[in-house]
Amino acid sequence: MALNIAVCIKSVPDPKWYEKITIDTKTKTITRKGIPSIINPVDKNALEAALKLKEQYGGKVTVLCMAPPGAKNELYEAMAMGADEAALLSDLAFAGADTLATSYTLAQGLNKLGKFDLVLTGTESADGATAQVPAQLAEWLNIPHLWNVKEFVLATEQEIHAKVKMDDAVGEYVIQLPALLAVSREINKPRYTTAMGVMKARKKTLTNLSKHDLDVNESLIGQVGSPTWSGDISIPSLARKGQELIGTPEEIVTQLIAKLRAAGIREGRGMVNDASGNLGSGRTDG
Amino acid sequence: MTHQGIWVVAEQTVSGISRVSFELLAKARELKEQGRVQAPVTAVLLGENLDDYYSAKLMEAGAETIILVDHPALRYFQNETYAAVLKALAEERQPSIILMGATAAGSDFAPTLGAKLRTGVSAHCVDMRLNEEGHLVAVVPAFGGKVLGDILCTNFRPQIATVRPGILGKVICFMHKQCPVERFDITDILAQDQGRVKALGITYEEMKGVPLEEAELVVAGGFGIESKEIWQQLETLAAVLGGAVGCTRPPLDEGWAKESQMIGTSGKSVRPKIYIGVGISGATHHICGMKDAGLVISINKDEKSPIFDVSDIRITADAAAILPLLIEGLQKNEDDVIC
Amino acid sequence: MFTFTEEQEMLRKVIREFVEAEVAPKAQEWDEANHCPVELFPMLGEMGIVGTFVPEEYGGAGLGFVERSICLEELARHSAGLAITVMAHQLCMGGILNFGSEEQKKKYLPDLATGKKIGSLSLTEATGGSNFMGQKSTGEYKDWQWVINGRKCFITNSHLADVDLWTVITGQNEKGKPIMTAFIIDKDTPGHTAGRTEHKLGLCSSNTGDVSCVNVKLSPQQMLSQEGDGPKIALSTIQEVGRAGMSAICLGILRGCLEESVKFSNERIIYGKPLNKLMNIQFTIAENKLDYESAKLLTYRAASMKDKGLPCACEFALAKYAGNEGAIRAAKRTIDMMGGYGVINEYPIGRFLRDTLAGSTAGGTSDILKVVIAAETLKG
Ligand SMILES: Cc1cc2nc3c(=O)[nH]c(=O)nc-3n(C[C@H](O)[C@H](O)[C@H](O)COP(=O)(O)OP(=O)(O)OC[C@H]3O[C@@H](n4cnc5c(N)ncnc54)[C@H](O)[C@@H]3O)c2cc1C
Ligand SMILES: Cc1cc2nc3c(=O)[nH]c(=O)nc-3n(C[C@H](O)[C@H](O)[C@H](O)COP(=O)(O)OP(=O)(O)OC[C@H]3O[C@@H](n4cnc5c(N)ncnc54)[C@H](O)[C@@H]3O)c2cc1C
Ligand SMILES: Cc1cc2nc3c(=O)[nH]c(=O)nc-3n(C[C@H](O)[C@H](O)[C@H](O)COP(=O)(O)OP(=O)(O)OC[C@H]3O[C@@H](n4cnc5c(N)ncnc54)[C@H](O)[C@@H]3O)c2cc1C
Repeated sequence: MALNIAVCIKSVPDPKWYEKITIDTKTKTITRKGIPSIINPVDKNALEAALKLKEQYGGKVTVLCMAPPGAKNELYEAMAMGADEAALLSDLAFAGADTLATSYTLAQGLNKLGKFDLVLTGTESADGATAQVPAQLAEWLNIPHLWNVKEFVLATEQEIHAKVKMDDAVGEYVIQLPALLAVSREINKPRYTTAMGVMKARKKTLTNLSKHDLDVNESLIGQVGSPTWSGDISIPSLARKGQELIGTPEEIVTQLIAKLRAAGIREGRGMVNDASGNLGSGRTDG
Repeated sequence: MTHQGIWVVAEQTVSGISRVSFELLAKARELKEQGRVQAPVTAVLLGENLDDYYSAKLMEAGAETIILVDHPALRYFQNETYAAVLKALAEERQPSIILMGATAAGSDFAPTLGAKLRTGVSAHCVDMRLNEEGHLVAVVPAFGGKVLGDILCTNFRPQIATVRPGILGKVICFMHKQCPVERFDITDILAQDQGRVKALGITYEEMKGVPLEEAELVVAGGFGIESKEIWQQLETLAAVLGGAVGCTRPPLDEGWAKESQMIGTSGKSVRPKIYIGVGISGATHHICGMKDAGLVISINKDEKSPIFDVSDIRITADAAAILPLLIEGLQKNEDDVIC
Repeated sequence: MFTFTEEQEMLRKVIREFVEAEVAPKAQEWDEANHCPVELFPMLGEMGIVGTFVPEEYGGAGLGFVERSICLEELARHSAGLAITVMAHQLCMGGILNFGSEEQKKKYLPDLATGKKIGSLSLTEATGGSNFMGQKSTGEYKDWQWVINGRKCFITNSHLADVDLWTVITGQNEKGKPIMTAFIIDKDTPGHTAGRTEHKLGLCSSNTGDVSCVNVKLSPQQMLSQEGDGPKIALSTIQEVGRAGMSAICLGILRGCLEESVKFSNERIIYGKPLNKLMNIQFTIAENKLDYESAKLLTYRAASMKDKGLPCACEFALAKYAGNEGAIRAAKRTIDMMGGYGVINEYPIGRFLRDTLAGSTAGGTSDILKVVIAAETLKG
């Protein structure tokens, strides 16, 4: 049984540099100049999951990205990691897309590339971080999906059993193939890319797809196809005027205990005066 | 425009209704007033065995009409069914705004609903308001919380938004007497379900102590805690203070803490009265989840660490030296406290 | 003008990612504990970092010296000790690859290239490294076997190597000059033992020590190339593999100095402003940058000449000389710039200075390099 797997990877500015991001106050745009692009970190987990499946069951792994032309570097890196093929969806007409238009374009790209048994994505990107693309992509492809998957196995040729991260809980699901899974970072540890992989990557196929290559409805792509648009952007200042406690560790601790007490702390009993909302979430009538 | 009114999609949990549902109802009432919206604020709740307790709670929190969708098939969250139900309801009633908690379920089915209705969804908002024309302006974080953007969806309805739990914070108790409660039948919708996804069950994590989101005091630890042993001291400190333990991402990777304890963009938002951060550098990803805390106390051995810029009390010291002394000092003085 | 290909840029990126995750966080700890992280070898092997220039048919990555330099530079950026461990291991592989029989290559290279085994090259003796024809170790042919005796010193991987290349004197020619021959010695061969471990000024996360042979009996199949080929093997391996590797390691240390100086001068606030608002501090940064960039150009130019098969002994001598002396200057300069913090071991800069000093002689002392450069230049 061979699996045809697609992995959606996004090219994002490296999160290590997010402290350096500024806003151009005139044009109201985010300046990310000089910040290197990388594969969205959790998308590497998605790719790792795909490569493991391929090792186990055979098949093919295709990576897909919608981005400006420079993202070919990230696609080559994904092929260096082990993906067999890559496709870059790039067109000026795709620019300014919100998640609905992004997922529509990705769906048309996947439809163009073939029939996939499994589409894998990350749970969320490091930059936009809406986490909305996976669910919407599944909707456009008309396949079922699960989001926030932390573990999965191919139970039969048509079914996957998956564990999904919920709030302080784990849900278990069975999902039919073809399906989309958005995986979270605890699913695996992505392999390192090897020197050998890097050299092989350039010999693999990277397909460039513009809007003319896809069967797209122009009113659904790019800014035109995006129901949301963004207004003001800002970088909020969170600075606080701090007071430094100095002295020996003993002296510091004495001062700190005094501060805690002044703030209303009673050891073991929490806050002295509970002035918070009186509407707890738990039901008390059992 | 024919679309009217603000909906809040509430969420059933093991112990009742998620707190974010109440936060959203309070916000919906505020928006209604601010925008002089005529239509009542509607709470929609999907789940199983939805008795009067639920409608009473929703009403108390600000709902002016309630739609209950009660069916065994809704026991566990299941995107296909949930989104199909919401789509049917929204198409029939045409709300102008739909708000949901950015919980695991909400983050997933809001975008599906948006795609089904071909409308926009604002993700993980930290705040929202109505502008002069009455459109929803949702404040959405990006780049790990460093940047905030206003997201609008002026030409499409409904305007959907998810809001991070704990961010709005405020829950209000409304004193009204009665509100219409409707039960929506989904037999026809379920009949169309293709059964492509089946929920088998859910396992809850065992929680000890105060839930992080509700704690008034949070002791958070980072990579600077350096070992499992010192991590245990951090837990002792939290216990002595009657608070909850939170963490940054590295302690998860080290296996000291659990996923549910992570604070930040991919974790929880907390707003305790007191936050004590130990061995935390202060990456935007983390700060985004604790910036609304009352008093911020930070212990870090590096005087230049960015966490100090967002702290009220700065302690430049080795965590391993401070923690035992602090625990000891607090325990020793416990009896002296005048209650 | 030398430029990197897109593959080479990507290689650097992925190696850097690996080093930042697996090496950088532990480098200081290894240094303090005098621990050589051999446990990383299998992983380094899998990544193609140790077998970079070994052809694929022998289990290597099949790449060239530019790629090898990239890998060593990235390793040395955070741990020069680990880098020299890899480099010395590559000396062993280089010798076997360039001079071994097909059988020897098939037997040894796959395990070495994939990091399953560790190699070393033992040339230096107490009587002199630079004067390596003066070495005293002997090989005697008796009863269809070679019997090896002698003691080597300053050998990297002395206590770790599974495969040890030796040069010994196996006789005299008609003119009375010593005949030097090379042998491959397996770890468990009776009589082959590691002796003292050196406590070094720097490169503390590499292992350096004595190795001795007492009546070590080797079959003729263990001879590398032919009798008398020792000098050729030693010189070509030291000059083309060793010196090339050391220049890349110096380059990595230099980049460490440059990056640390930039970071510190940004973060350190003095007179209410970042330190680098002072012009003399900006000069330090400029000088560090110049030392790094010039060593970088020299190293990669020499490596690309080597990959093209051009003679490059002088070019590598220039590169190692510029890199090593540059790194010493840059580390010292950065320590000065940092004030008191410069000598505090929480900062890696002191380690960079110690490492670069400790690496000065390996691959040729600066004086020897100048001899090489001058000879080539005077030739006209
Ligand atoms: C400040 C700001 C706020 C925003 N807010 C909103 C908003 O509220 N609503 C909205 O609709 N849009 C919003 N956007 C736009 C949104 O970020 C873009 O549409 C983006 O292209 C896709 O969304 P994401 O980055 O959030 O991806 P996510 O949905 O977070 O990504 C999840 C996964 O989908 C896959 N994926 C995502 N994008 C691509 C791609 N281009 N190519 C291949 N795979 C991909 C990856 O596997 C990724 O791990 C916002 C953008 C900014 C800068
Ligand atoms: C997409 C994405 C999402 C993320 N989401 C989150 C998130 O939701 N929440 C989150 O927290 N992180 C998140 N992260 C990770 C985040 O970017 C940071 O890496 C993380 O917050 C750093 O954690 P830290 O401060 O504990 O560790 P470090 O940055 O390693 O800092 C450790 C600190 O401890 C100090 N220290 C060391 N030893 C001692 C000692 N003995 N005593 C006192 N102090 C000491 C050091 O000076 C340092 O400041 C995310 C990252 C990405 C890429
Ligand atoms: C960390 C480390 C790792 C090493 N690893 C190995 C290894 O793996 N294998 C191995 O075989 N060796 C190794 N060595 C040994 C190294 O190759 C020698 O130290 C080097 O060749 C110099 O030899 P020496 O120490 O005997 O100094 P000497 O040769 O005694 O030199 C002393 C001084 O004389 C100068 N000098 C010598 N000859 C000349 C000349 N002809 N003209 C001008 N000046 C001259 C030198 O520049 C130096 O200043 C290592 C050394 C170190 C420090």
